[in-house]
Amino acid sequence: MDNTTSNSTFNSSSSSNSTFSDWQASRPPKSFWTNLTLPILYLTILIGSLYTFSSLYRARKLKKASTLAPWFPPHRQRDIYLSLLHLDPAEASESGDGSEKKLKQVPDSVLKAALIRRALEDIQRIVQLRGAKQALQTLLQRGSVGDELWQRFLRAEKEMEEEVKDVVNEANAFAPNWGQTIFQSANEINQNNLLKQRVAEIQSQLEAEKAWWEGRRAGIQSDFMKELEGDSKPIGTAPRKKSSDDDAVLVDADGPGEAQGVKKRKGKK
Amino acid sequence: MDATYTPLPITIDATTKSISTTDPPLSTEISELNKLHRALLALDTPNQVPPPPAPVNPKRSVQINKLRESGNASYKKAAYADAIRVYDLAIRMASERPGWEASGLVREELSALYNNRAQAYMSQQMWPEGAIDAEVSVEMKKVGNVKGWWRRGQCLREMGRLEEAAEWVRGALEFERAGPEKGGLAELEGLGKELEAALAKA
Repeated sequence: MDNTTSNSTFNSSSSSNSTFSDWQASRPPKSFWTNLTLPILYLTILIGSLYTFSSLYRARKLKKASTLAPWFPPHRQRDIYLSLLHLDPAEASESGDGSEKKLKQVPDSVLKAALIRRALEDIQRIVQLRGAKQALQTLLQRGSVGDELWQRFLRAEKEMEEEVKDVVNEANAFAPNWGQTIFQSANEINQNNLLKQRVAEIQSQLEAEKAWWEGRRAGIQSDFMKELEGDSKPIGTAPRKKSSDDDAVLVDADGPGEAQGVKKRKGKK
Repeated sequence: MDATYTPLPITIDATTKSISTTDPPLSTEISELNKLHRALLALDTPNQVPPPPAPVNPKRSVQINKLRESGNASYKKAAYADAIRVYDLAIRMASERPGWEASGLVREELSALYNNRAQAYMSQQMWPEGAIDAEVSVEMKKVGNVKGWWRRGQCLREMGRLEEAAEWVRGALEFERAGPEKGGLAELEGLGKELEAALAKA
């Protein structure tokens, strides 16, 4: 009896070896749990603090990532496509005669066109990303650019991947297997646009060139006339005159040779 | 992805099915979209989806070829103005191919047509026009286009721009020495040498 009381006082003061003696004291459940409180408390605090730390850290990282400037400006074509997809034509259609004719839904052909435009923009962005990747990697290795730029780039890359998948899925929904060719078509459209731009650029020089040549020819002619009249300064005009003589001969020489060229080309095709 | 997008102020016309917007910066994009939409409606493929670029509808190619042949025929008869008009038509036809058709083919056709037109201009001594057309031809096809290179060089020379011509021919030789057309190379080299000589004299 004395032993047990002393044991219980001991128990209240310290928990080191009380389990064993409580076992003997025939009050096992209560003391078993009370003795576990400390490790449990320890674990809760540990896990709790770790959890709070990690969630705070993650939240901060997420916030930082969301404040990263996007690589590309907003995707207009995608916005248009989705706006059209979600458009309720009964409200949005603006027909002159009001309620007589209203679209039940946005026609598929319009959506297809919008999807092609979207794919076209995607192609241009992918080309841009591919071009930037090599240079950016090198710069990053040299430490010339910060890690943030690289993070932005990676995010843009991932976004484009998702975007391409999305477009392929949408295309397959319109027509079976269109997803396989829509980007090919978009690529050709892109190439053709570049081609036409280039041609227009060169052709736009034509007027200036023509004007220049008119002026130049007039100059040459007046020089020639002066020379014929005066014959006083033959040294200055001599080389020019000579070249125009050359020209006359060359023009004659060109004719038959190039006619052959045309023949040759005809034979080839 | 689908969850977030910026709704745009777009309306669609019920009868013409053309799209319009109240947002001015969007209007160029929208007009492009309407253009593409009309092109799609003209298609006769199943599902009205642009076909893959590889097999091209041969109708247009045949027409372009016909035009080119008739242009060549007029050129041979020395009816240069006629030839230029026909080439013009063919060029317009080739550049109006729908965008999704193979761009390589467009390059090839435009290169040949501009080249022929350059020659027709040159026969009338219209050097600036010839020079520009030859430049376009070269831009479309840089290797295996000795005639295009030569023609622009010649036009520049006729206009007295010797240094520019020499520079041009030097670039041409760099491209064409690696190219498949060895036949015309001598001509080009000859032109280069003449230009160098003329420059040395001047």
